[in-house]
Amino acid sequence: MSGIEVRLRAPLGAPADCSALLAGEWTKLTAGELARRGVRLDGRTVPLGELCDVAGQPDGTLRFTGDWSRAARLGAGLAEGAVRIESDVGDEVGLGMAGGSIEVRGAAGARAGAAPAEARRGMTGGELVIHGAAGPEAGALMRRGLVAVGGAVGDHAGVGMIAGTIVICGAVGPSPGLWSKRGSLVAMGDIGIPSTYRYACTYRPPHVPLILRRLAARYGLPAEPRHLTGSYRRYSGDLAELGKGEILAWTAS
Amino acid sequence: MNIRGVFIEETFAEAFTMRVARVVITARSPRWVREAALKLTGFATSVIGCKVEAGIERELREADTPDGRPGVSVLLMTMSKDDLPKRLIERIGQTVLTCPTTACFDGLPAAPDRLGVGSALRFFGDGFQASKVIGGERFWRIPVMEGEFLVQEKFGMVKGVGGGNFLILARSADAALAAAEAAADAMAGHPGVILPFPGGVVRSGSKVGSRRIKSMIASTNDAFCPTLRAITATALPEGVNSVLEIVINGTDADAIASAMRVGIGAACRDGVVSISAGNYGGKLGPHHFHLRKIMEGAA
Repeated sequence: MSGIEVRLRAPLGAPADCSALLAGEWTKLTAGELARRGVRLDGRTVPLGELCDVAGQPDGTLRFTGDWSRAARLGAGLAEGAVRIESDVGDEVGLGMAGGSIEVRGAAGARAGAAPAEARRGMTGGELVIHGAAGPEAGALMRRGLVAVGGAVGDHAGVGMIAGTIVICGAVGPSPGLWSKRGSLVAMGDIGIPSTYRYACTYRPPHVPLILRRLAARYGLPAEPRHLTGSYRRYSGDLAELGKGEILAWTAS
Repeated sequence: MNIRGVFIEETFAEAFTMRVARVVITARSPRWVREAALKLTGFATSVIGCKVEAGIERELREADTPDGRPGVSVLLMTMSKDDLPKRLIERIGQTVLTCPTTACFDGLPAAPDRLGVGSALRFFGDGFQASKVIGGERFWRIPVMEGEFLVQEKFGMVKGVGGGNFLILARSADAALAAAEAAADAMAGHPGVILPFPGGVVRSGSKVGSRRIKSMIASTNDAFCPTLRAITATALPEGVNSVLEIVINGTDADAIASAMRVGIGAACRDGVVSISAGNYGGKLGPHHFHLRKIMEGAA
């Protein structure tokens, strides 16, 4: 990936709110213009350029290097471009994103791809791919788009989903898909099905290989043959809500 | 021009602009891919009597299909751009949707003209259908008794060419058939083309209109019928007792010319007297495939 690189000079001393960094249009910004965008740190707004070396030519891609594990809301409101974070990242990465893609090479904190506070919907488009684990409430209230997690996720993944897709390769924490209206939660690892979901059948959902092959081709998220060609138990829910959502749980048998 | 003793006539095939869609069908096994493709392309030889011309373009390896399963690509072609979406919807709906284990994808993703196919077929789901956007493309999941049928929402449409052809003039029916089979086999899987007739071969080439019935748009090509040699203005050289035609449609003229070169080369064999082509004097179709130009260097 060429484009612009944002290299953090030293680990952040405190949690930083990066929500204003990539919201709206940014793909045509030069490195200098991007360096002037603000980050909230210790109760004040500082230009990104005070914390990072920002270099490269704009081509719609952005690479964050260094340790971003204390960066919160990185990629919030993203609508365009391809963002890659080479480290772990803090809470609320891709909060309310509407388009483009975010790839996190490490783990993510809580509420990845979730809805901003007080908002009625979370992600409305785009792809958020986390190679490591993710914290609780990943994809909360998402309306459209794709969240993929290579590792485990915390509790309440996809809580209140309106639509969209969450793919989880590792174990799934308690209460997944609770209060979802539509949408798909695809689980390859251990998952406890909420009591408000009802088993439908065991089958091969034809769209799942398409998603897994895309994740492998574009992001290098490994797609295991058993997940590509295997069967999934389909549970419909949340029946306490609209009930048009689903949990697809991969099964060895 | 002679190729292995076969005379290449100084003439050309005259072809027309058509609208093309490429449909990719996948299934659990090659057996069900083939079943779906054969039904999808059935009764689709010529727009003279069918509403669409269709054929299997080539088999696809698992690595070349969107879902990693065995597949084929099929070309469907109509004369008008308004007809193509209708034919796709009715044919995919009746032959691919109904066939066990299949899924159906657009094979022309770069085409700017997009036809709503899955967006129409989804209504078979009676409100239980669901969509997924994967890589910017929307797919419809239609619940069926077997499980789910997956179909892409929109299919690309491009301008193509229909009616590329050549005629094999042989000493006997057996020789004509052997040469036609060799030509069809050689052209099978050629990218960008289909041979819409049975086995790729036509025995009943037609001329425009009829001598007797004004409403008929086509009737037998009497100039090339051996049994009429004595009573019509024949186009048959001495010693020719049987003629078969190969019709080639394609996504573009270059693909057809390339396939014709391969096919004519294979047809030039023992028992074949000459290779000719069907045209209407060059006044009807904008695409002219001159046999000797195509076969330059092969003689």
